[in-house]
Formats: sequence, C-alpha cells, structure tokens
Amino acid sequence: MKTFHSKVVSLFLAFSAIGIVLGVQSCDKEVETKEVLGVLAPASLDQTAGTWTPIILTTNYVTQVPVAAPTAVTSAAYIAEIAAVKDAQSKLTKSQRNSINYWSAGGVLRWNQILRGLVANYNLPPAPNADGSYPLPDSENPFADPAFPFSNPPYAARAYSYVSVAQYDALKAAWFYKFLYKRPSPYKVDTSVESLMPASDLPAYPSEDAVMSGVTAEILKLLFPAAVEEITLRAAEQRNAALWSGKATASDISVGLALGKAVAAIITAPGTGRFRTDGMANAVGNATQWQALEDGATARGEIPWKSLDMPTRPPMLPNFGKVKAWNMTPAQIISERPLPPAPTKSSEMTDEVAEVKYYSDHITRKRLAIVHKWADGAGTYTPPGHWNDIAEEYIEALDYSEVRAARAFALLNMAIHDAGVGCWETKYFYFNPRPSQLDATIRTGTGIPNFPAYTSGHSTFSASAATILSYLFPAGSQYFNEEASEASLSRLYGAIHYRSDCDKGLAHGTKIGGYTVSFASKDGAGN
Amino acid sequence: MRSSLNVGEYNSTYNNNNTTKNLSMMKKFTFLITIIAMGTGLLKAQTFTDGLMMSKNDLCTGFIYSNDAWKKYWEGNLNRENGNIGTVSTKSVSWMGAYGISNKLNVIAMLPYVWTHASQGTLIDMKGIQDLTIGAKYNFLKKTIGTGDLSTFVVGSYSTPLSDYTPDFLPLSIGMAAQKLTGRFTTHYKLGSGWYATGNLGYTWRSNVTLDRPAYYTDGQLTLSNEVWMPNVLDYSFNVGYIKNGWQAFVGYTQQNTLGGGDIRRQDMPFVSNRMNFSKIDATVKYFIPKINSLAVWAGLGYTVTGRNTGQSTYYMTGLLYTFHFAKTAN
Repeated sequence: MKTFHSKVVSLFLAFSAIGIVLGVQSCDKEVETKEVLGVLAPASLDQTAGTWTPIILTTNYVTQVPVAAPTAVTSAAYIAEIAAVKDAQSKLTKSQRNSINYWSAGGVLRWNQILRGLVANYNLPPAPNADGSYPLPDSENPFADPAFPFSNPPYAARAYSYVSVAQYDALKAAWFYKFLYKRPSPYKVDTSVESLMPASDLPAYPSEDAVMSGVTAEILKLLFPAAVEEITLRAAEQRNAALWSGKATASDISVGLALGKAVAAIITAPGTGRFRTDGMANAVGNATQWQALEDGATARGEIPWKSLDMPTRPPMLPNFGKVKAWNMTPAQIISERPLPPAPTKSSEMTDEVAEVKYYSDHITRKRLAIVHKWADGAGTYTPPGHWNDIAEEYIEALDYSEVRAARAFALLNMAIHDAGVGCWETKYFYFNPRPSQLDATIRTGTGIPNFPAYTSGHSTFSASAATILSYLFPAGSQYFNEEASEASLSRLYGAIHYRSDCDKGLAHGTKIGGYTVSFASKDGAGN
Repeated sequence: MRSSLNVGEYNSTYNNNNTTKNLSMMKKFTFLITIIAMGTGLLKAQTFTDGLMMSKNDLCTGFIYSNDAWKKYWEGNLNRENGNIGTVSTKSVSWMGAYGISNKLNVIAMLPYVWTHASQGTLIDMKGIQDLTIGAKYNFLKKTIGTGDLSTFVVGSYSTPLSDYTPDFLPLSIGMAAQKLTGRFTTHYKLGSGWYATGNLGYTWRSNVTLDRPAYYTDGQLTLSNEVWMPNVLDYSFNVGYIKNGWQAFVGYTQQNTLGGGDIRRQDMPFVSNRMNFSKIDATVKYFIPKINSLAVWAGLGYTVTGRNTGQSTYYMTGLLYTFHFAKTAN
C-alpha cells in the first residue's frame, strides 16, 4: 500500500513539475517585433540632396518654400534656446528617453512602420446594410461605420507613395536650407549639451525631424482622418525627441515644422494640389459606370466579371486606372497594357480554369503557407505594405541619411503606385471573371478579391517593386525577384488567379518599374 | 463487495444508500447488476471535467463524433451573419481513452480529426489531425458528507498539435495550433439517489503560435512578426446530473473566457488570438447497452447562449466507448 501510494504521489509530483516548467516557459511569451531597428548613424551627409530632382516641387525652393536665415548662434535668443535644451535634458523622464530611443532609429523608417499600421487598421471593406447594399466610406464622416478610408491595395499604394514623396521633397528642401545656412546642432555649439542620438555634422536648421513631422502629419491627416490623434501625437513626439536629444533647438524645430507644412500645403492645395487633382476622387465611380463595364464585356462576347461577395459588392475602385501615375503618362499606361487574355469561352480559358481547379483540389500545406505569406488581404498592410516591409531592412542596413532613405521609399512607392494604376487600368479594361466565377467548385485558400482577375495585382505590384529595389540594392536583386515570383504564384496556388494573370502581371510590373528606374537614374542622387 | 465487483463508485454508492433494501435484490439480479456495474465503469472518467474515475486497471476507449454549426457569430460583441461564409460547420471524430492507474489516479488521452466547411463563399474546407491531449486526473479527497459523497479532483493536461495545420484561416482552421497546459480543479457531490452535481474551474496556459506571414494586425496594433501572443483561458462549468443503473444524464452550463486578445473588427476575419468568450448550455446522456458487454453509448446536445468573437453554435455529439477490465483483482 505504501509503495503504491508513494508511486501515485511521485507520479503526480512529476506531472506537476512538468506542468510548472512548461507553465513558466509559456508565461514568458511576449512577442518581439522581428523588425528591430538599430540607432541610425548615417553613413553620408548627402550634402548635395538640395540639388536632387524633386518629384512635385521644383528646385526653386527659395520662392516655393522660403525659409528665413536663422539667428546667429551667438544671439541671446539662440543662447536661451540652448539653455532650454539643457534644462529639458536635465530632467528627462523614462518615457522621454523611450521616445528618443524610438525616433533614433530614423524618422523615415519609423513613419513607414506607422503608415503600415494605419493601412492595416483601415483596410476593411464596409459591412453590408440590412437590404444588401453597401455604404460608402465618407471622408467627411471618417469615424462612422464604415470608417474612412477603406485602405485597400490601390488606396494603400497611393497613400504610401504620397507620404514617401512628400517626405522626400520636404527633406530635399530641408537639406537645401541646412547647407545654405549651416547652423550646427546644439551639441556642436555648446559641448555641455548632450548628444543623445549619434552626433553628426549635419546642420540643424531646419530640423529634419520637424520637417518630417510636419509634412507627414499633414498628408496622413488627409489619408487617415480618423487617426488624427495618433498622427498628431506621433508627430509631436518626433519633434520633442529631436529637442530632448540635443539635435535641435526650438527655432530649428519651429522653422522645420513650418517648412514641412508648407510642402504639404503645395501638394494638397485645394483645387490645384496634385493630391487633389490626380483623379482619385473619381476612382470609386458610380452605378452607371459599373453597369457600363459589364455591358462592355458582354458586347465583346465575353463573360463579364461578377462580384463573388455576398451580398454582391460594387467593384473595387474601377477608375483607379485613370488616377495619375508618378513616372508614366496616361498614354504610357495604355500602351503598356498587357494584350487581351484568352477569351472567356475559349478552350484556352477552359484549360486555365482546369489548372486553377487542380491547385484548388491539391492545396498542400506548403503551398498554403505561400498563399498566406503573400495573402495581404483585408485587415493587413496590403501587398504595397509588404514590399515596404521587405525594403525596410535593406534601407536600414545601409545607414542611409534621412533624405536618402526617403528617396528609397519614394522610388519604391512611386513604382508600386504606378503598378496599381497600370494593373487596375488593365483589370477594368478587360473585366475578366475570377476562376470561381467560371467554375463554382473552385474553392480558394484565401479571400477572393472583389475586382476582375486579369492581371494579378500581386504580380504587378511585386514585379514593379522588385525592379526598383533591384536597382537600389543590386545585391538583393535575386532575392527580390524570387519573392516577386513567389508572390505571383501564390495567387494561382490560392486558386484566385489563372496562371496567365500571374505571368502577364509580372511582365507588366517589370516594365512599369522600369519607368521609375529611369527616373531614378537621372535624379542626381547617384546610387 | 467492493473488491469483488471492482466497480468503484457505482458499487459504493449503491451500497451506501440502499444496503438494507437491496441486499436481497442483489442476489436476485446478480447477473444484471454485474453487467450494469461494468457498464457504469464506462461512465467514469471519460472526460477531464467530470467527477468520475475509472477503476484500477480499467481502460475505457472509443470514438466520439461531434458536429458543431453556426450561422450567426459575434463580431466583437455584435451578433451577425455573414454571406461570405454562410453556415460554418465543424465535424470531428475523436479517439479517446481513459485508464485507471489506480482508483485514485487516471490518465486520459484524446485526439480528434477535424473537418471544417463553410456553406457559402469560396473559402476552402480544412481537415486534419488536430491536437493530442494527455492528462492525469487525481482524486485527492473522497468523503461522505450528509447523505452523499464528496469527491475532489485535480487534473493536469497537456495538449499539442499533431499536424502542421494553419491557425491563420479562421473560421475554417481546424484549431489554434497552440500548445496548452491546463490545470483544473473539480468538485463532485453525489447523493445515494443517483443525483449529483459537479463544479469545475480550469486555467489554460497557451503557447504563442507562428503564422505563415511576417506581420499581422490585431488588438489595435500592427505587429511586425510572425509570432502571435496567445492569451490564456479561464473556464468554469457546473453540471447537474443523474447516474444510476447504467444511465447517466446531465445538463450543464459552461463559461469560457479568454484572458486578453482583441475583438474581430467590423467586417474583418477572426484572428487566432481574439478574445474568444462564450457561455453554453448542454445536455448529455450516456447509456450502457445491457446485452453487449462493456459497451456504452453517448449522446449530447449543446447551444452557445452568449459569446464574443465566437460562433453561436449548436452542436450534437455521439460516442461509442468500450471498457476493458485488465488484471482484475480477486473475484
């Protein structure tokens, strides 16, 4: 009896011990970001950035966005500003030090992460009304249900591009004035000011952090108006971190903020700014236009695309193909359009459907992982965001100055936006049905997007992104192209695209990316 | 008596409360009682949450089929339907086994194979072997109080996925893919008349899970990682039932609360770490088939009354379990 009891007790104790060990392990399960950013110590000052080709502005910064000369570092006003920096540094809280650490990774990289979060947050389609219709997100009422915006892939592509381009133009203007006025950083003027971010010879006036905070916040508030609180707090934190770290004084910051806002004002000026006049306002279209797309396909003898959402949802941004591209003219968008897909009633199309059906019926675990790696559907940062994610580590690894980091994201996101425009123009020109529409037994490994099949957006975005990234980071070229191919094939594996959508999309994207490479090769920044 | 029949709980209850009345009847119905007694063995310790134990060296094993379906679900706290999925059904066949190491210590194991299906939309069905759960149940206290017996148990169990299924295809994923460690405390009070009540409190630690993608958005933030923090889970339940003469029937109320995690956003898909809460009611009947030695049939129904980030499901289950009596002691 005794031995039996001790057996039971020891078994039980052993079990409890295993439990405690496992329990302790699972208690410590905080998820760390895989994108840990180091402290930015730029490899180059990029002194000539003021001469690099602007995207929206012109190089005539003096008349476009004037910045007055700073007061002398010997002036009483400036000395008082230095004293204020020292005073702030003498009583830094833990939270303020955390802010410094956060922004010391570089403002361009941080804003890119913040932007990806905003896109993911707002990337949700409206829920249907009780009568089966859908409400439209309303920029005048962004906090409602549905929230504004629905940051789907085209919306996101444009958003990433405007934020990146605006930052890039604003920073080039900032660089122009920095090297025009050459006012040093507070810690260079007064050695008793601590440098809590890596010291550099970059002039402080106007503060690049303040420029970035101003231009980014203004653009983001238009793109994501319901996120105004988060945007404003982040922008203020970036400016504060610049001052607390000893990088900038109050006047470096106030002038920088004004410059950033001035650049944003040019881009978003009502009636004239590119942001207002690029055609995005008409991208949603209306019921008459949606019907015309369907009638047009029918008139050509094709089976028109139909929404597979239940209830049936209007097509996603059918006029996005008419939105202004960055590095392509409207005529080039049309001339680069892929040739027509196989007719919907042809035997070639039957074969294409059969291939998709095969992947639907044989969705292996390995292929499903590829489908999900690249799905980037509702509620995510979208395929454009995924390519920003990929670019981030290359930009970080090279310790780019803020202005060169902004250039990299601007080039990437212009190429991605143009891919979105070209692809959407193609999709709605052909209005081709999804595989599951032609064969209702085809079940999919991810959500089926609510727009026509030909060509694949993922393929076009990815190839265009891989093309410009290969130009910027030649060492990564093979990787970028392999990733683009995998992203493209993931749509066939997921049974939501035909192979020709993917192949033609990749080729189209490569051509589109070439236009931005062509711009980049002549922008004066070198590579 | 106890050792001669070796049927533990059933027999002791029988004797405690009906001794004088039934001594003569026992002789008369020896055969029947033996069968019933063996049958009641099947009604014991077949789950982690009940208040019953397998007797020493008894092995109960079999299969349970369950079918769970919902058309309405809670998106956060909003109860809604979704035309893109229609009715989501989850079917499973689970193998289970419970073995009495002693009358006070049982080991239990369970392994389901799961199929999921959405009646509308295009999302593909999922299927596969889900999570193996192994655990031990220890009856550390047994005491007569008033006219009934009070038993208390601690249960420890560990659960791990046995196949590489994805948890990132909800609501069609076949599981959450987390490793789980559950500690449970059970109190069981049974009257001689056969009526009983069981109360349960469980806490489940869940390991983080890994997705196939490099980033995800949940609970108000974008996380740039493929790893997902999984909140732990608290559950409690209360059952009232009747067990006698080869029959067991009970009704129950179960509440499960996930201790953290975000809500499903408006018109978003569910996510593996969502705060999935529910309360459900269920009714179960177990019956020992008199003519077939050691075979028991289960049937149950359940309904989710309230929830958050879960389906408003109705389910039914049925099972067939067989008990082997190994190395019986003196007869």
